Amino acid sequence: MFGRQKPQKCRIAPGIRGLCISGMIIAAMAATSHASSLDEQIERLNADITRHTASVHALEQKLLHPVNTRVAVFLSLANRQALELDSVELFVNEQPVTAHLYTENERSSLGQGGVHQLFIGNLVDGRHTLKAVINARAANNRFVRREIVHDFRKQPGTLRLQMTLNAKAPDYEPEVSFVEWK
Amino acid sequence: MNGRMSLFLRTSIGVMAAMLAGVAAPVATAMDNSLATGVVRFALDTGEASSVVGLAMKLEGESADYLQARLMLASGQHDKARAGFEGVFNGASHRGEAALALAEMAQEEGDLTGAENWYQQARRTGYGEVVQKALLGLAELARIQGKTDAAGQYLARMEDGYWAAVGYMNLAADFARDDLDSSRALVSLRVAMAMAAKDTDTSRSRALLDQLNLRAGYLALGSEDYAKAIDFLEKVSLESYHTPQALYLHGLALSSKGNHRAAMQSWHRAKKFPLAFPGVSDAWIGMGRGYDLSGYPGQAGESWLAANAAYEGERVTLGKLSERITAEGAYKALVQDARSEDIQWFLADNRTLTQPRMAYLLRFMEEPGAQVAVRRVARLDEMVATLDASKNNLEVFIQALEGFMASAGSGGVAPQTAGLEQQQSDLESRLNGLVEQAATPAQVTELRQLKQSLAGAGRRMGALNEQILQRPERLEKVLDEARAMRDATKDLRYKALSLREQAARKLDALALAFVKKQTQHMTHALDKTEQQIAHLYEYLALENLGEGAQ
Repeated sequence: MFGRQKPQKCRIAPGIRGLCISGMIIAAMAATSHASSLDEQIERLNADITRHTASVHALEQKLLHPVNTRVAVFLSLANRQALELDSVELFVNEQPVTAHLYTENERSSLGQGGVHQLFIGNLVDGRHTLKAVINARAANNRFVRREIVHDFRKQPGTLRLQMTLNAKAPDYEPEVSFVEWK
Repeated sequence: MNGRMSLFLRTSIGVMAAMLAGVAAPVATAMDNSLATGVVRFALDTGEASSVVGLAMKLEGESADYLQARLMLASGQHDKARAGFEGVFNGASHRGEAALALAEMAQEEGDLTGAENWYQQARRTGYGEVVQKALLGLAELARIQGKTDAAGQYLARMEDGYWAAVGYMNLAADFARDDLDSSRALVSLRVAMAMAAKDTDTSRSRALLDQLNLRAGYLALGSEDYAKAIDFLEKVSLESYHTPQALYLHGLALSSKGNHRAAMQSWHRAKKFPLAFPGVSDAWIGMGRGYDLSGYPGQAGESWLAANAAYEGERVTLGKLSERITAEGAYKALVQDARSEDIQWFLADNRTLTQPRMAYLLRFMEEPGAQVAVRRVARLDEMVATLDASKNNLEVFIQALEGFMASAGSGGVAPQTAGLEQQQSDLESRLNGLVEQAATPAQVTELRQLKQSLAGAGRRMGALNEQILQRPERLEKVLDEARAMRDATKDLRYKALSLREQAARKLDALALAFVKKQTQHMTHALDKTEQQIAHLYEYLALENLGEGAQ
């Protein structure tokens, strides 16, 4: 009942087929050149938009976060192997200001020395409290959620707070060190 | 709406604060160089280059030139990026990475000789993954040119892991295509499996192993080595894109060994997947075949009739999909709508594979050129969204600046500073008087400190007065800048939309061709089942005739 399929006869004469194939190749080449020109146009537009967005971003920073009140919080990893960062929640004076869920790509970048700008905002001069909630998986396959609180004094001028996350063997308990860049 | 409102409030407050600070000087946007390097690296790795273009000149350290070149590449300035990478390659750090980037750029431009040269340099000067990628690049270049032996030699120098596994898988595909005997391809696939097993990224390793086992199973089946085929196919996980095809081939191998009941169990499982996946339509036909070979012609007929109904239904689905592509565009009909928003995250993995639309999207993405076409539209959509956000922000800034200039036009700050100047002068007089009366050294020291503080306050007030005098010009300048940017945003948005239309047309053509091909596949499957049903009826009629004659 399940015999082999009969071979189909050639429905197009070889000569005509040759012409068709040549036509198809020419059409394909035309399509490729059109596609590449479209890609080139997209690349050029991308360059223009990147430059433009950078200018808008600079203006935005200048207007939204004036130098005297600006506070920026950065996150970096001291040891990539020790912790697999899942997410970070950030609170300033007990108010949630940002939360970030890390992708594999972002984790990899942090592991290679990348620094994530977690938050940028404005604060008045004086004493403030920063609370970071770290969710991560430690190298010993244990999920950890830790709250880290840091008190700081905001003075006139931009304040940059760099949080560096680390975990040491054997218990891989997350530790955060803070550096204040003025 | 809330987001926009809060943005407006935030902006207004920020703008007011900026006014009081005298509109930040250029130093305000600067960042410490040591931080800037890390921030730029993170932005480049995560595809957010536009937010850090301004930091390019702030980079320092041994990675600065390399990151600058990457920034050029990410912002579409290929010529500058090439020059930058060449400079880095001639330097002391990141030589391997720079050579690899140059090799990839050359390969994209079709310059195979240049690409080979740079890959060789990357292999020579790089470390770790850079060397692995360079060796894979060299192997792929050799393979593309038909030099499979040379490709094998490069692959042999690679360390165990994902990249080597991918190289051997591609080599196996070439062997399977060129050889009459599948042994060379199977050996390559076995090596690839051993390499993939060493990959530290478990999900990536699992996905690749599924694909390798499926390919090996298919080749073993073609060589009529059914036990080996079953062994490979049973290793494919049950939650993978390759599962339905593996189940179908598994059933085929079992059936070839005469185990029709077990074969039908595999096909029955394959039938649970949408017809869009490879192997599923064949599994529907296989069920009838299984019943027929097991001696149940009635059940076989029912199975084929059920398969017919399923194919008919799928043709209707495909017809509707085609109509939607024509009406709404392929990007919306196939890509955006496949992302069901109602799926809970903990169900998403299991349910996505059973959704026809997702199945068609996955299948479509396997077509040559489909990924490039979808990426083009997605990139342009992203650009339009970025421009929309910029436009919105700029409009808010302009509105707030215009409002502030109108209210500040009536003055108000000058009388306050005049009062402060008077207060400063009074305090200075009182302090001078006290200095003359100071008796003890402690009093002298304290008064000296007070005098310094007062002098500092005086200097700050002088600076403030200067800023107030310059403020209208500064505000006017910022406002002009914002207006010019808004106009530029509009022009760029128009260009982006025009290119998006062209890219969407190309994607639509590809998607419609794909749907047409799938419809033809369904028609062909329908023909096959109808043929089986006709044969079955013919056989039953002849049986009846035979019985009648007896």
